[in-house]
Amino acid sequence: MNDRKQQPATDEGARDQIHGRVARTSIYALTGGVLLFVFAVLVRDEFHFRGQESAPPEASGPLSFTPPPMSKIPDGPAGTSIRHGMAIFENTGTEAKPFVGNQLACRSCHLDAGRKADSAPMWAAWVSYPQYRAKNKKMNTMEDRLNGCFSYSMNAQGSPSGGPPPKGDPIYADLEAYFHWLASNAPTGAKLKGAGFLKLKLPQSGYDRDRGRAVYAQHCASCHGDDGQGRTDINGRQVFPPLWGPRSYNWGAGMAQLNNAAGFIKANMPLGAGNTLTDQQAWDAAAWIDSQERPKDPRQKGTVAENVVAFHSGEKTFYGKTVDGHLLGSGTEVPVQASRR
Amino acid sequence: MTTDRESVDEAFEPYEPKRRVPLPVYWVAIALALWGALTLLRDSSADRTGAKQRIAEATTLERRQTATGSALFAERCATCHQADGTGVDGAIPPLAGSPFVGASPGVIVQILLHGIEGPISVNGSDFDGHMPAFGSVLDDDQLARLATSVRGTWGPGGSISPGFVATERARTAQRTSPWHGGDEIATTLDRTIGVQPAYLPAPRSPDDLTAQSIASIGKAGGWSCASCHGSHGEGRDGVPRLAGLSPDYIARQLLAFTDGSRPNDIMRPVAQQLTAADRVALGRLFASLATPSSSHPALEGDVARGAELALQGDDRRNLPSCFSCHGPSGFGVSPNIPSIAAQRPSYTAGRLAALARLTSRQPGSIMPAIAGRLSDADRRAVADYLATLPPSPATSSKDAR
Repeated sequence: MNDRKQQPATDEGARDQIHGRVARTSIYALTGGVLLFVFAVLVRDEFHFRGQESAPPEASGPLSFTPPPMSKIPDGPAGTSIRHGMAIFENTGTEAKPFVGNQLACRSCHLDAGRKADSAPMWAAWVSYPQYRAKNKKMNTMEDRLNGCFSYSMNAQGSPSGGPPPKGDPIYADLEAYFHWLASNAPTGAKLKGAGFLKLKLPQSGYDRDRGRAVYAQHCASCHGDDGQGRTDINGRQVFPPLWGPRSYNWGAGMAQLNNAAGFIKANMPLGAGNTLTDQQAWDAAAWIDSQERPKDPRQKGTVAENVVAFHSGEKTFYGKTVDGHLLGSGTEVPVQASRR
Repeated sequence: MTTDRESVDEAFEPYEPKRRVPLPVYWVAIALALWGALTLLRDSSADRTGAKQRIAEATTLERRQTATGSALFAERCATCHQADGTGVDGAIPPLAGSPFVGASPGVIVQILLHGIEGPISVNGSDFDGHMPAFGSVLDDDQLARLATSVRGTWGPGGSISPGFVATERARTAQRTSPWHGGDEIATTLDRTIGVQPAYLPAPRSPDDLTAQSIASIGKAGGWSCASCHGSHGEGRDGVPRLAGLSPDYIARQLLAFTDGSRPNDIMRPVAQQLTAADRVALGRLFASLATPSSSHPALEGDVARGAELALQGDDRRNLPSCFSCHGPSGFGVSPNIPSIAAQRPSYTAGRLAALARLTSRQPGSIMPAIAGRLSDADRRAVADYLATLPPSPATSSKDAR
């Protein structure tokens, strides 16, 4: 009897005990499991997204800007002008043929049709003109500036007309329409990130054309050629621009100054692998390119030495220096038009 | 013996002593279950967006099929002839005022079908003409719309019907080479075009016969080129198209296979059999083949995205456009940069993936870095887009530079 009564009692107690234990275990298990899961998700997100988060924009630094996509060019007469401006920018030798004296186009240096940051993008240029320039010691409108581009970078002295587009030529209006559209919604006069070329400090060991020759051979020659004359496709169309010689920019161009060339190279070259060269390599490659002959400075009236004083004092350039017995700045002899295909 | 037997429990069943399952095991199990559920959920949503993307792509593809003539022009012709038809001074003939656009409608259709290889004179300027053949990448409907649009914008106007294109296609179905310059077009198709510069066929070289033999039957018992790359250099799944690549590029790659600077276990033994003269001759041979494209999008890539990457690049990912180095229509820039137009998509995507894995970078080579920044979807997109392009024009040996 005793036994009988006790048995169920013990059973019940044991069952309760077991129930309690199961409940407690389940609660512990569930809580622990959920916590572990949450922890795992957090850890994964931390590692997964850390690399992707961009630094928060600095409050006081230069502003970032993205130009509108090509598909947003408006229709109508304004759109026609913008499109023609873009066509001039990309196909300068054809669209502005009378005023182009080399094998370059605007986009040769202003990459991605003037959109790419750190390659003197046109959206940044548009909002910083009119501007006073020490180069010609006056307040420059955008048209004045473009006149300079044609004179120097496009070597207009070697063009069919022998000079840049005359004042008021529609080429200026269409190029400006394109720049204005690229700068849609950009603040006027504000400092924009990526404006102009990268300002690259001169390394302690300076620049050296012999070191530059090696950098050039290793990193530049496969596209621009050992002779720096660029390359054409099967139709004879210039794909990689000539960097020196009669078909390149002349001695008056901004790119003929080492600091501009070095900044451009550092940020953009080799194309698609910008910022992979060291600052030293960029300066040295610029030195190799700049220490080659190119069309003469169209402003030159007297000797090269006189022109150095008149227009090149304080510049970092090989202009007026003698390299391998040759006075750089003398200009190239081959008439550009004859060498065109 | 008996006692021994009795002492053994015959009914013994092996068992494990009952122990409580340790809590951490539950934790891990539950966490894994939740993780699994989450992954399943994500996958099904990815599936839904994938379906949406495929529908969008199908619509784009359909749009491409039914694109208007001017849209086809913008997509297919403007990289060379320019959106406004001005061409490129000294390289690409203009369309505005061109006697070829103004000639009888059969002329433009024939040029589109077979392309041009040879000198051509337009508006007083001579051009070394290399135009691709669109016969293998556009159908009669598309060609009719495109030709109508070009003649409407820069020529005498009038409508060209798909039936007319079909007749023209049938008329020259036997033709295996591009039109040899303006002269052959003018004398064969329409004399109103006027006098055109004469086409001078490239001189034959004795090495050309050797190259033929290596390409079709191989050298000294080795594999022939044709056994993998096809009898016309058209390539096949995963094997590149060679027809229309630049002669110098082919010769350089064969050398690179030989010395291992382009590692490839299949090509290496084959290339090692070749002499320097063989490499040059093979380069010339494959460059001169005007093989129609047999490449089609095959990787379910987003062709519109591929077009964007090829033509404009993607600044946000620091990707320059393909064409900024591979030439305005993907025809390559001799000697280092290959043609990528009409290449087999499986080869293009595979090659991009292989380049992305390269750790030791060849100096001056930037493709590993660029390929590394392409996502798998972008690699498929760009490979599929390039497969829709007309093949790079064949070049005869006189152009080998």
